[in-house]
Amino acid sequence: MRLMIPHPGHFDALKEILRVVENENLKDVHEVFMSGPPEIMGSGRAALHAALISEIKEQTAFAHQYDIRMNIIVNPSCLGGYHLTYAGYNMLRWYFNELNRAEVDAVTVAEPYLVEMLREYPMEIVVSCVSHVDSPQKAVFYEMLGADAITVDTNINRDFDVLRAIKRVSHCRIRVIVNEGCIYKCPFRYAHFNLFSHVTASRSPLAEGRPDIFSDYYFDRCISLRVRDPSQIIKSPWIRPEDLNHYEEIGIEDFKIAGRANTVAWILNAVRAYASREYDGNLIEILDCPAELKYIFYVDNNALEGCMEKWKKCNKMCNECGYCADITKKVLKLIEK
Amino acid sequence: MEKEDINAGRRRVENELRSLVGSIFVPEAKLFAMRCGCYGFYADIRGLRADDVEAFSEKIKEVMRRIGEDMGLRADFIYARKLPGSEEVVALTARELCDSCRRELASSKSSPRPDIIVLKKRR
Repeated sequence: MRLMIPHPGHFDALKEILRVVENENLKDVHEVFMSGPPEIMGSGRAALHAALISEIKEQTAFAHQYDIRMNIIVNPSCLGGYHLTYAGYNMLRWYFNELNRAEVDAVTVAEPYLVEMLREYPMEIVVSCVSHVDSPQKAVFYEMLGADAITVDTNINRDFDVLRAIKRVSHCRIRVIVNEGCIYKCPFRYAHFNLFSHVTASRSPLAEGRPDIFSDYYFDRCISLRVRDPSQIIKSPWIRPEDLNHYEEIGIEDFKIAGRANTVAWILNAVRAYASREYDGNLIEILDCPAELKYIFYVDNNALEGCMEKWKKCNKMCNECGYCADITKKVLKLIEK
Repeated sequence: MEKEDINAGRRRVENELRSLVGSIFVPEAKLFAMRCGCYGFYADIRGLRADDVEAFSEKIKEVMRRIGEDMGLRADFIYARKLPGSEEVVALTARELCDSCRRELASSKSSPRPDIIVLKKRR
């Protein structure tokens, strides 16, 4: 097993996280990942810190002292066409050169053009989950572009036939995001990634003409949808720490813990759970989802033992099944305050 | 506790920051309760930079602590929040933490998140 763990971006956080990794002998931690600077471009998720290239270099060197790799996330789903302008191309060339000089080990991107651009560099090219690789065909396509590793679309996390097929046809390392808290087949997914791509590009040329939005509609609707139908929390394609072995059995050994916009203590809690392959408590506490949900619902992780056997064979015809709705009644409780 | 007390708190933050830094506005202030069990006083800030907070951290902390105290809060976590990826400070909060948020926000040695400048924390 290799764990890819989130880093919020400030150097003190990295020091604290890696000290815990060392002191507690969490030997499966293989890589930390963090957002790139918003001066260049946005990101698929909230970016809370603007690390300069010099800081990325310093932090990368620090991670290497612990024998941990550094992965910089550059995964906006929308670049507004800027990457296809001469100015955009030149800026990206400069940026990738700088990351390479900073001895960054891997770069995660969502845009196919950036995958091709990165072929010139020795850094590992990781395809983001924002690219929504959900079939063998798409995996082969990204491999042909030059990808070394693929983070698959979380919507197929529990679709073992597709995961097996991707593993069969692709030479890339396959990563799954284990603590996915997004709604399964979320109707807002693409629009929300696009919104994030622009609002997180606070100081890049992409920010020109950026609208001053009145609210994050998708975030609010996402919570509201689950409050009205809590079975959506159970249907989300998370993977319990206890169930990682099901993926190892089909040859998937790279597990990414999402959550780079969370606090240091939250990250350490999630890392400990997945590194030890067990968690006793409210599963929502280690999922990368709106924090409000953990104050409303309690999902007994231990009570979910065995569910993966059913989900592995699930045909995703929820209207004909009802299993997740039944499980919800057994494992999910409203927290009374 | 009356509604005017919240506005008095808002005015006090604004006046104190103006005396320390210069042209600062506090367009909105709130007294809040969260479902998790936290309580707090929150002020939106316009015009403040991270450098200012670092230079006057003791004074700002004391202002927020006293305002919280006047509203019945035992503020064990006082912080400034920056606009992510910038040095612009957009909010000051004095918060009485619940056990869960104490673990999440006040247990780490470093700042819990890069957009948060911690002025006071009680573990």
